[in-house]
Amino acid sequence: MPSALRSILNAKPFLWALLAIPAALIVSGYLSGDALPGDYLHETGEWSARLIIFALMLTPLSMLLRGRSWVAWLLRRRRAFGVAAFSYALLHLIFYVLDMETLRNILAEIGALSIWTGWAALLLMLPLALTSNEASVRALKAGWKRLQRLAYPAALLTLAHWVFVHDNLVPALVSFAPLALLEGWRVARSLRRGSSRGHRSAPI
Amino acid sequence: MKYLPHALLAAAALGVASPALATGKMSCNAGPQKSWKSQAALKASLAKQGWQVRKSKIDGGCYEVYGTDPKGNRVEAYFHPVTFEKLLVSRRGQVLYRKPVAQEMRPARVP
Repeated sequence: MPSALRSILNAKPFLWALLAIPAALIVSGYLSGDALPGDYLHETGEWSARLIIFALMLTPLSMLLRGRSWVAWLLRRRRAFGVAAFSYALLHLIFYVLDMETLRNILAEIGALSIWTGWAALLLMLPLALTSNEASVRALKAGWKRLQRLAYPAALLTLAHWVFVHDNLVPALVSFAPLALLEGWRVARSLRRGSSRGHRSAPI
Repeated sequence: MKYLPHALLAAAALGVASPALATGKMSCNAGPQKSWKSQAALKASLAKQGWQVRKSKIDGGCYEVYGTDPKGNRVEAYFHPVTFEKLLVSRRGQVLYRKPVAQEMRPARVP
């Protein structure tokens, strides 16, 4: 690959631009057509969910495919995928607010299981997005990683939000299946390692 | 373990390929569309009952309406396209009303 092309592909703004394309298409579609804001709820929510799933898949994927350079390339850019997931969730919220029109309408359904799970997922993602920068990594030190683990409950709440808002298990579960498989593999591996270590260290 | 990448690929392909066709929330066996009443007529009839309809479409052979019910709930509702009978009303996935099961309709939630 020519080095000029390579340096464009490796530049962070390139990935940001790539991740912003669906949002640009959605917003321009909304502004130019006569679709209702509610028509974009599913699409924006699905992009957010897929991005958070993808960001979380990168860690177990890098364990499974150790040494693959493309996984390492993606892993170095994981924060961008996380921030993109939050950005699509915000866009999802904007369309929701436009669709609901009034605060009264929003408050009237906030207690529904399908709705509060969405709000909770978004609130959990907020500190993650705000601390997705070098300064926060340095300032929070070890706490940064602990804080970022909130992404897991945020993903579970996203799954619940998706399942209940459509009152349908299948599409959401299918989307989360790759992450669930990888996490299952990761847990199985650490259990196996844990037990074999325990065996070795047992007194003879 | 060596099949995990294949399982992942299959799962991902399934996720991309799953079609956004009929939602399967309700189905009406209402006969040919020629015998249906119009969506405009449904909107007019609902407006008289205090509904505000923002959008309507056909889903599962029923008319599906997005709007505000007379109580002020933002809902999604299904109506029979011939009789305009109310079949299902839900708010963000939470069922507020479901017509008791009868012959011309069935809950099409069988996977």
